[in-house]
Amino acid sequence: MSGSGSGKNDKTPNMELEMRFSDHFRARRCVLGLPLALSAALVAAMAQAEEITVLLPGGGYPASVIEEFTAETGIEVDQQTLAWDQLHTRIITALVAGTAPADVIELDWSWVGQFGAAGWLEPLDDVLDPSALEQVSVLPIFQAGGKTLGAPYNNDFKMMVVNTAHLEKAGITAPPTTVDELLAAGRAVKEAGITEHPFGLPLSVGEATSTAWYLITMMYGGDLFDADGNPAFTDPESGGYKALEFIRTAVEEGLIDPASTAYGNPEVREAFKAGDISFILSDGPGPLSTYNDPEKSAIAGQSAASVVPNVSGETRTYGLPEALAVPSASGSKDAAVKFINFVMSKEMQENVYTLDGTLPTRKDALADLNAAGTLESGDAIVAQVGAVGPLFDGGTPPWYPPFSNAAAAAVNAVAIGQMSVDEAVASIARAAEDARAEY
Amino acid sequence: MSTPDAALAPPFAAEVPKPGLLQRVSSDAGLGIVLALPVVILMAAFVFVPVALTAWDSFHRVTPMLPGEPFVGFRNYTRMLSDPAVRNAWWNTWFYVAAAVSLELVLGLGAALLLNGMKHGRRWLLAAVILPWALPPVVNAMVWSWIYNPHYGLLNGLLMRFGLIGEARVWMNDQASALICVTLVHVWRMMPLNAVILLAALQTIPRELYEAAEVDGAGRLKTLRLVTLPLISGALGIALTQSTITAFNIFDEAWILAKASALTRPIQGQIYMTAFQDLKFSYGMAMSITVMLVSILVSSVYVLRIYRETRFD
Repeated sequence: MSGSGSGKNDKTPNMELEMRFSDHFRARRCVLGLPLALSAALVAAMAQAEEITVLLPGGGYPASVIEEFTAETGIEVDQQTLAWDQLHTRIITALVAGTAPADVIELDWSWVGQFGAAGWLEPLDDVLDPSALEQVSVLPIFQAGGKTLGAPYNNDFKMMVVNTAHLEKAGITAPPTTVDELLAAGRAVKEAGITEHPFGLPLSVGEATSTAWYLITMMYGGDLFDADGNPAFTDPESGGYKALEFIRTAVEEGLIDPASTAYGNPEVREAFKAGDISFILSDGPGPLSTYNDPEKSAIAGQSAASVVPNVSGETRTYGLPEALAVPSASGSKDAAVKFINFVMSKEMQENVYTLDGTLPTRKDALADLNAAGTLESGDAIVAQVGAVGPLFDGGTPPWYPPFSNAAAAAVNAVAIGQMSVDEAVASIARAAEDARAEY
Repeated sequence: MSTPDAALAPPFAAEVPKPGLLQRVSSDAGLGIVLALPVVILMAAFVFVPVALTAWDSFHRVTPMLPGEPFVGFRNYTRMLSDPAVRNAWWNTWFYVAAAVSLELVLGLGAALLLNGMKHGRRWLLAAVILPWALPPVVNAMVWSWIYNPHYGLLNGLLMRFGLIGEARVWMNDQASALICVTLVHVWRMMPLNAVILLAALQTIPRELYEAAEVDGAGRLKTLRLVTLPLISGALGIALTQSTITAFNIFDEAWILAKASALTRPIQGQIYMTAFQDLKFSYGMAMSITVMLVSILVSSVYVLRIYRETRFD
């Protein structure tokens, strides 16, 4: 009925039917075509704007650095950050499953042996900018099996940080340079009532605690292992043994807060920023800018880096730098390498130091910053840099994590009073031998 | 005319068609199978197959840093017996299980009885009781870590104000107090679930039974022992089972409050360190399988008890 008898047009019913079908299909084509066109545009846009993911601890790279990289290369960066404690687990679980946790990932010095043995990372020898290879002295720490697995971006090494105002109040004119002076300074600060517990030292069962013990071992001129790879900390005259005695004495005298047995580095640093402690015995140069930032610290302008005290007249320390690495499972290796080369340039390392205090790994960038007077505690850092050595001569071994866990557990047990120093060194030595026997 | 054989045959036997797929599905049994199938598939994919693979891998050496995955038999299991860290973690875990299950049951029953007896405001109090259970375990543990803090914590503050301690204590530096502190946080989080389970059971008990008991001269304790507890024994079994399993799985509370300290480290913490820090996956898997078997064994005691109490025959 409709149409044919309406008299509004002269089309036959068949023609009208055809037109209605035709309109219908046109409308359907539009409806179907629109998403297809949008999808095509999206695919084209995605093809144009390559994206990589970057997984780093803490705050990662400042937003301005990421934006500059994208503007220069057209590669978008999805930067994900995690607290340090969760980072290792997040990376490991993805790598074990044969996937890439991100295209660029954090590689800590202590993971090199494990990751290298597992073959999870892409060698960077042939793709890193040659200037980075020449200028970065800590590069060997990230080599395993003759291949470079990471590009060091954070020149972390152990040194002491002091509150100069607290020392001044206690009548101490210069930071202590020997272990005896250190103990005397701590006692003087405590007796003067400036801080109840002058020394900040992480003592929980974690990496921060074992690395602190290694540093105090070096303060006493000791090493962890002898030339044959045997534990060198079991003798009562050894540095490692004396380091444990130092920790026990400092806790017993109240120089170290007994609550430090639940502290990692973040808690110690918060206490320092609040003015509750006067020395961080085992810190690095990186956080100095934060300590002296009035927006983040109650002791801004009072903190300074100081060379590691010693017993021999010669300061010693070790490097624990962090690097950027590319998982073998990454689907955007070329773009990931571009990002690494971008942030490893001299200009960008200097820029990042100015923005967030990450100490450059390039010698030329460090020299520039020191010459410009922008390197906080520059003289102390330069003095300490010369005394930085590797913790393990042959690179971090794959058995390092169980050894580190055992060391941290023993230090924690000594601090709590659950173990004697003799028992602690014996348990660390046993754990080291067991761990080494497996590899 | 029909033949004699045909007369003996059941009526319409030849004409009854075989049920089609749709009919078979729409029958009660078929419908039941269809409805259960998604759960069976999901359970197989996410529980049974992973458990079987984990058990299989636990008999091998699975360490990404070493080549190959050779069969090692029961070595990962026998190794646990001589590992002091594992023994210590088991000791801590048994403490958590014994203390947490007892406290959660007693306090959960107390809360359920209190709520059941309330005539006004029950829903508000129930909401308040449930709150700790509704919060993520990490948040709970963080809150309690502030309460236990030796410098500014509420616990030290209260105890010092009432003269019960002379100076602030570091609760996590002594094994007894550390284990108790961790247990209390876990109990605070899990007790509400027991309270809800038991409250639901209490509300099914007919009022007439209490009236009859009262007429017979039963006091409150006798009524609880002879009327209430037998009638909620099924719910008690469920509460015991869930408390036991969650106590065997304690991790967040111990980790947040004392990190990896050996004083409080539960077996789940030991598994985490073994598998994800030391990368000894198969050894960690052997520990996981052991925990699973032990918790099933302990829980099966309650489950069998419930079965005996509630079966229809």
